[in-house]
Amino acid sequence: MNGKARVLPPPVTSQEVVLLGVIAVLWAALAVSTPAFLTAGSIQPLLVATAPVALVGVGMTIVIITGGIDVSVGGAIMVCSVLTAKALVEAEVGLGVAVLLAVAAGGVLGLVNGVLIAYGRVHAIIITFGTANLFLFLGLRIFGSGTVNGIPGTLAFFGRGTAGRTLGVPHAFLITALLTVAAWWYLRHTAGGRHFFAIGGDAQAARLAGVRVRRRVLLAYLVTGLLVGLASCFVIAQGTSTLDQSVGSGKELAVIAAVVIGGTSIMGGRGSVLGTFLGALLVQSVASGVTQLGWRSQLSDLFVGIFIIVAVGADLLRARARARRNR
Amino acid sequence: MTESLGARLLRILLTQRIALLAVLIVAVVVTFFVQDAGGYLTAPYDFDYMSAALINAVPLAMLGLAELLVILSGRGGIDLSVGAIVSLAGMVFGFAYGEWGWPLWAAIILTALFGALCGALNGFLVSFIGFPALIATLATYYAYKSLAIVINDQQPISTKPIQQLFSISESVELPLFGQYVPDVPLGIFTFLLPTVVAVWVLLARTTYGRRLYAIGTNDVAGRWAGLPVRDTRFKAYVYAGLLSGLVAVVTVGQFASARPDAGVSGNGMALPAITIAVLGGVAITGGIGRVAGVVLATLLIVWLNAGILLAFVGNEGSQYQLLALGAVLIFAALLNGLTNRRYGGTS
Repeated sequence: MNGKARVLPPPVTSQEVVLLGVIAVLWAALAVSTPAFLTAGSIQPLLVATAPVALVGVGMTIVIITGGIDVSVGGAIMVCSVLTAKALVEAEVGLGVAVLLAVAAGGVLGLVNGVLIAYGRVHAIIITFGTANLFLFLGLRIFGSGTVNGIPGTLAFFGRGTAGRTLGVPHAFLITALLTVAAWWYLRHTAGGRHFFAIGGDAQAARLAGVRVRRRVLLAYLVTGLLVGLASCFVIAQGTSTLDQSVGSGKELAVIAAVVIGGTSIMGGRGSVLGTFLGALLVQSVASGVTQLGWRSQLSDLFVGIFIIVAVGADLLRARARARRNR
Repeated sequence: MTESLGARLLRILLTQRIALLAVLIVAVVVTFFVQDAGGYLTAPYDFDYMSAALINAVPLAMLGLAELLVILSGRGGIDLSVGAIVSLAGMVFGFAYGEWGWPLWAAIILTALFGALCGALNGFLVSFIGFPALIATLATYYAYKSLAIVINDQQPISTKPIQQLFSISESVELPLFGQYVPDVPLGIFTFLLPTVVAVWVLLARTTYGRRLYAIGTNDVAGRWAGLPVRDTRFKAYVYAGLLSGLVAVVTVGQFASARPDAGVSGNGMALPAITIAVLGGVAITGGIGRVAGVVLATLLIVWLNAGILLAFVGNEGSQYQLLALGAVLIFAALLNGLTNRRYGGTS
């Protein structure tokens, strides 16, 4: 047995290769059927829309690798974006302050989740179902009644118009890609990163091996919160000058779908942020394709459902085959 | 070993979820009665109002019982798709009763069976293929939600027969002693009570119920004991789908319209249903939970929500309901955790 190969998982999993292939085929098919698809005017919005889901997906992947889950990110996005939007409109803060505010707010919400989950010793899904309600309440209270109007273009740097692009690539997407690669490197090549996998594989064994389990778990939710904050800036930046109360609604399920399609095991212990990134890109490509073909936009949810079943089903069958070989 | 009275009361409150819920319900009702007497509420909080509010308990308790069944089945059992099934089955009911002119009983049976079919897909994925329930029902949540919206081109169905269905959510005076007690919403008798009794009988008086608790507690032991583990778990999802189908009928009646987003709009129906189940003492790890706990948890939430609506004006009421739901859920979950460590579990 080759020792080194056993320690590190392969740099790119078969799931990621398959996803890349599926996205390529999808893009090719869309390019053939609707010539307008492969133009900057169509691809750029797709990348901008992918960014927040993929970015929150980085945190969600880490959370799920530890064996947890966070269904409160939709509510958290709402809180961070309305807070930041209000700061932009009413206090007329600059770009830096707005980003700091959003990230700090997200961090606080993530900390609340992390503390309750790491120290309350209750399964994460229950706690985050609870905090999802609390965050929604908080978001709606900050909204007051109605919408936030007249948001200035302060955050345009992240993706709106030419100011938001370098070499044609929207900054939100660029930042997301960079952070994804950084997280991939961290999870794979540092002891701290691999602790997350150890916890998801067997928390008890990890504790006995000297991993500070609670602190790591708290960190996972905190990181998710911080990324939610940054993602909220992307959300404000991609929108028009109005923010309404549906912001963030259903995003938790979209992010979890991207993570699962990307090949991360919901049981914990196994997963990759690169897969999540591709999963988010795939989901958004489908949504974009469905509208470009002139179908009802809600039909894309049906495809997302089918993709989840196919992606996870293939993984289950592979695992079963592996188990049979090892017997 | 002797136990002081205080310690004993605390142990009963913490280990007997029904006792805790009863105390909380009394606390909630008394609080709002006192507030009402002090003139702090926008409308009277009395027995009539509490009785009328029970109409909200019908879908909530039925879906809570659906979650009870799937969570009991263990292995991370949970059903995120119940709200989407309510939407989709509601559209099927809308077509059958509102457009094709089927008789009511036939349309209800069709809708329940359709819900069971949706549940069967969940059960098949979870039980026979081995999907984690969270993933399988997340996928079908998306699929059913999407189908419900595109099936009638985003349009609700509210033809004449559907509009007249509103009568099933009206309140009626009970026979014999009805004049002495508040009128009760009809749905309590036509849908909720039969469901509660049926699920209770299923869980407490049938072999199936024993098996479900057994596999939920430890499915490996169940398999070695010769239990049909897969079949038992599969059926839990089918029953959950069936209940969601019945809730679809109730929901169509309440809205007087088959709405494609009925079960998924806003926060959706799955989230409150899971909350009710957990609050009712159902252990998310499976194998522990009772019908009475779910019913009492529903009453607590319904009467709490009803009071909050009177304590705040306009939109604020529904916002504070979110706060209450979230706070109560976290409280109940932390309590479950504490009870598990201290007394070895809740019953």
